[in-house]
Amino acid sequence: MKAPVRMRHSAFKACSMSLLILMTVAYASAAGAGPREQAKRIHDRIAGVPPAAAILDSMAQDISAGNPLDAAFTAMDDPAFYDATLKNFAAPWTNEAMTPFVPLNDYTATVIGMVRDGEDFRKILHDDVLYIGDPGLGLTPYSTSNNAHYVELEDSGEPLKDSLRKVPQSTYNGLPSSATAGVITSRAAARAFFSAGTNRAMFRFTLINHMCSDLEQVADTSLPPDRIRQDVSRSPGGDSRVFLNNCVGCHTGMDPMTQAFAYYDFEYNPDSDPDGALGRLVYNTVNDPETQSRVQGKYLINSSTFEPGYVTPDDQWDNYWRQGVNRRLGWDGSLPGSGSGAKSLGKEWAYSDAFAECQVKKVFRNVCLRPPSNSADYAKVDTMVSNFRSQDFNLKQVFAESAVYCAGE
Amino acid sequence: MIIHQQIHFLRNAMTFIALMVATLFLSACGGESTEALPNTSSNSSSVSYKGPSPASDDVQNFKLAVWDNLVQEDKCGSCHGTGGQSPTFVDSQNINTAYAQANTIVNLSDPSQSAMVTKVAGGHNCWATSDSVCVDILTTYIANWAGGSSNSAKTIELRAPAEKDPGNTITLPADPAGFSTTVYPVLMDYCSDCHGDSGQTPYIASSTLSTAYEQSKSRISLTTPSNSRLVTRLEFDAHNCWTADCGSDAAYMETKILELAALQSPRPVDPDLVTSKALVLAGDNGDGLLANSGGRFEDNIIALYEFKAGEGQTAFDTSGVSPALNLTLSGNVDWVGGWGIDMRPAVQTEQGAMVPAGKAQGSTTDSRKLHTLLTGSGEYAIEAWVAPGNISQEDARIVTYSGSATTRNMTLSQSLQRYEVLHRSTTSDENMPFATQDGDKLLQATLQHVVVNYSPGAGRQIFVNGQYSGDMDPDNAGLLSEWDDSFAFVLGNETDGNSPWQGAIRMVAIHNRALTPEQIQANFDVGVGQKFFLLFGVSDLINVPESYIVFEVSQFDSFSYRFTSPFFISLDESAEPSNIRIQGMRLGINGKEATVGQAWANLDVVLDSATYEPGTGQSLSRLGTIIALENGPEYDEFFLTFDLFGSSTYSRSEPPLIDSGTPADLPPSSDIGLKTFDEINESMARMTGVAKTRPAVLNTFSTVKQQLPTIENIGGFLSSHQMAVTQMAIQYCDALIKDGQARAAFFPGFDFTASAGTAFDHSGKSLITGPLLARFVGENLSTQPAALDIQTELGSLIDKLTPCSGEDCNGRTETIVKASCAAVLGSATTLVQ
Repeated sequence: MKAPVRMRHSAFKACSMSLLILMTVAYASAAGAGPREQAKRIHDRIAGVPPAAAILDSMAQDISAGNPLDAAFTAMDDPAFYDATLKNFAAPWTNEAMTPFVPLNDYTATVIGMVRDGEDFRKILHDDVLYIGDPGLGLTPYSTSNNAHYVELEDSGEPLKDSLRKVPQSTYNGLPSSATAGVITSRAAARAFFSAGTNRAMFRFTLINHMCSDLEQVADTSLPPDRIRQDVSRSPGGDSRVFLNNCVGCHTGMDPMTQAFAYYDFEYNPDSDPDGALGRLVYNTVNDPETQSRVQGKYLINSSTFEPGYVTPDDQWDNYWRQGVNRRLGWDGSLPGSGSGAKSLGKEWAYSDAFAECQVKKVFRNVCLRPPSNSADYAKVDTMVSNFRSQDFNLKQVFAESAVYCAGE
Repeated sequence: MIIHQQIHFLRNAMTFIALMVATLFLSACGGESTEALPNTSSNSSSVSYKGPSPASDDVQNFKLAVWDNLVQEDKCGSCHGTGGQSPTFVDSQNINTAYAQANTIVNLSDPSQSAMVTKVAGGHNCWATSDSVCVDILTTYIANWAGGSSNSAKTIELRAPAEKDPGNTITLPADPAGFSTTVYPVLMDYCSDCHGDSGQTPYIASSTLSTAYEQSKSRISLTTPSNSRLVTRLEFDAHNCWTADCGSDAAYMETKILELAALQSPRPVDPDLVTSKALVLAGDNGDGLLANSGGRFEDNIIALYEFKAGEGQTAFDTSGVSPALNLTLSGNVDWVGGWGIDMRPAVQTEQGAMVPAGKAQGSTTDSRKLHTLLTGSGEYAIEAWVAPGNISQEDARIVTYSGSATTRNMTLSQSLQRYEVLHRSTTSDENMPFATQDGDKLLQATLQHVVVNYSPGAGRQIFVNGQYSGDMDPDNAGLLSEWDDSFAFVLGNETDGNSPWQGAIRMVAIHNRALTPEQIQANFDVGVGQKFFLLFGVSDLINVPESYIVFEVSQFDSFSYRFTSPFFISLDESAEPSNIRIQGMRLGINGKEATVGQAWANLDVVLDSATYEPGTGQSLSRLGTIIALENGPEYDEFFLTFDLFGSSTYSRSEPPLIDSGTPADLPPSSDIGLKTFDEINESMARMTGVAKTRPAVLNTFSTVKQQLPTIENIGGFLSSHQMAVTQMAIQYCDALIKDGQARAAFFPGFDFTASAGTAFDHSGKSLITGPLLARFVGENLSTQPAALDIQTELGSLIDKLTPCSGEDCNGRTETIVKASCAAVLGSATTLVQ
């Protein structure tokens, strides 16, 4: 019993010591930053871990030589950039609670992989793409009905930088290639946003995570309500003002776009598996006996709530936000603004200005540890957005520029 | 909203005055101008018929359905009986004469359009306090004579409305300033005793100007001031005139409304718009054609509440089954536009008085009718259109026939998202609820049609929006023979007022037979409330005579209209459209397009003879929408606009986007932040060289992961974070020091086997502090603490830990190195980024 007691004493002393040093460093950090300090911060911010001495030297040299972006790219070679920074960057996007405390999954892995490979990040919302663990690692194979593959990959401690392999999503999850839409059709997103409900969650959370707007910010009551489904009460609690002033603002735009997901559902047993841990994404390629069309039954629920509401016949979506105040989201004029299914909708979003700005702002916040806050920050964000475009939407470029911008002076 | 003692007193006083007036004018019985009410005593004198036998079956039907119900002195008998005023349709001495007379004033194919009904609707001697009650009851009687069942749907004949162009209306402004100097002072002077705060609805004389204005809006017609409810109540109903001359009071009120109207200017419609003709829904100038086509199954209704009165303190039973089980409204209850009552929770007024939750209760005497008729049949159906105010209320009574919270005959209540039924039978416990399933979430906070059926065969069944819930009554077949006839019928609360329900009740019917699923579906399909057809004239836009776009329109609730299922039709059956395209149809209200709810803005259809059916028209859309109510159904003027109709076009352009400008600067935030959980773990693994998958560190990390910082904000750093960081640091250092090879590589030259007393002598300390500084802190970094400071602190820590004695000295050297390692690893040098 004595050893643990002693150990605890030491621990407390060490703890007090740590606090002391913490205070000291808090003051010390106010000092000016030279190339070494900047290099250290760039590495800390990008990889989340301190650089090895040699790496620090090399990065400092790059900075001194006027090539700070090279230093930032060096930091991105560190495995921790993938295992910690990117994983926790993407993890909150994969669940409704937006918590980072979720195991690695196909959504996060795909984000990590696409950044690693310098892919056009817009593909995240529409490509037939998936990243899985290296088959050589002997992991449980990818499954459409559990997440074991990714849990094992994470637990193995293998650096994701080296162990992720890009594959066509459609060959693994069984969707027709035309029905894949990047992370939207990942199992993790389906579990979080296609389970139960009406699939509007997929719309809202993709909007939050990839367009950086929640519904209130894009509400527009002036648009036609002709696609608002029957399940939306026009008199919540018996008061139609609530509908006319609030509900309609979001549903006018949301319902005609969410129609893109009309053939998707997440099947699970709510009694034995309430969290859907063993559920799977399903997609109607033929008529559903429940609806006599390819539309999932969840699109037609509560049809008597407002009988003259919209009845979904197919997965044709229309972007009503190309009119009204949400034109400011900057839709791509070369796209038609309508289509069928999740893939074309994902592309509609990914090709908007809002998508590019959102990715830049998210990275800025992740690296600078604060949102863009003043005119200099706003101008830098604009520059980074245009560089993001000119660099073929390679997100590494944004990480590098953000880290350099916030490296300290 | 609330009945105060004072109001009781006032009402009693008024009743007394009314009786005196009635006495004075009794001799003037007959003639439309007479406003005295007949005796409203509930003890109707029965009339026993001793005249000639009915000459035919139809005369017999007439006698049973109409004559027996109206012959009493307190209904029509006193004036239209034998030798009375023509028509003597309740001749008490000769049923055949009465029959012949009655035939001159009824329309058996459309009972509601009978002269007998429309005359009473116009204010002619209704025996109840609300004309609409007599209208409904008379319609029921005549319908029963006509064919018994009222459940046959009838065809509505479309008729052309008067033509008028939109936009010449003046509307009430949003700002009550004009009102405050014209009409409001009159209301304050003469109406505030009853219609002020805490008085009766409407609060047209509220001391709060905005409240008074909102409540008055729908009672003021700027286009036809004489039609304003504020005027007609005085002029035609003699409703509490403040002088002896109601006519002059009405004229004064009208003058003030004219003054208010003079302050407004008409809002012309944009001349570029392609518009239809304009229509008003209801009222004296209303263009709406009543679209309630019947089709409800009501053969066994014994109590019916449709809430058509729209004001006052009574919800009338218009079933026509005597005695009328009228309900008295009390507490926080208000009327809903488009027929209904809104039950609200208890509130405290600004003056501090408590207004109890809303309730509508019948007398136990009148309620006995339910006991008699339901125990007689042994089965029942409770049918209601309700809009629950929320899905969080429990044990909230919607409809109940009970004596107290624990004694009842039957109850429909809400518990969360369940409809619950409690009833007393020989086999059912009166307090054991039978309910829909939680998981089904059948009860929603929106307008719903709910039916509770009870029959001994099927037990209790619940139908929501026409669909059987699927729940089976667990009790065996029972009888209602134990029902108590001393209970009261109540809506929206328990008799004791302690189980209030929040929400709107739009209709309640009690049937003394269970309804069949088909009947329930039919009643659900018919819907609730008054519906109209509005025929928007479009003949001047296209070359098709008498052409209209027709909507089914109803007042959805107090705040909106519901427009559904538009179709195109020409009333000239020989005319047909040919290749006429319609694009972008919008609803206009009071001179401008409605901002919210334009469900047909994307409409794109072609009217053509191939798709057009003479007589029934061509459907444009199955969709419906709601648009906001402005001045009320009697005043709001509707029209349609089109982007394209045939050859007429309107080019719609979007306003330019408003530049939101540069966002304001946010408060400055810290330049540095914390590492978060995974980063701390990765950093420690990297710095110590201990793999993060090592079981000891992995377990500790799993345990404290969520206790570590999750956001970078340095201002959010807590002592609990530090404790978790320390545990992690100790675990990593422990793993490092326990591993002989690893520690030798990390601290080259340090002798871990030496005793604590000697190991740190001379260069011993620097063999520890040197690697810790190099590996954990980094070299030549001005953002990290000065190396000397750390060395001094560590040196002092080592010195403090070194002294030991006896067993304490076993492994002391390792412990001191671990502590030194953890002190640096768990410090801000690692944690801050």
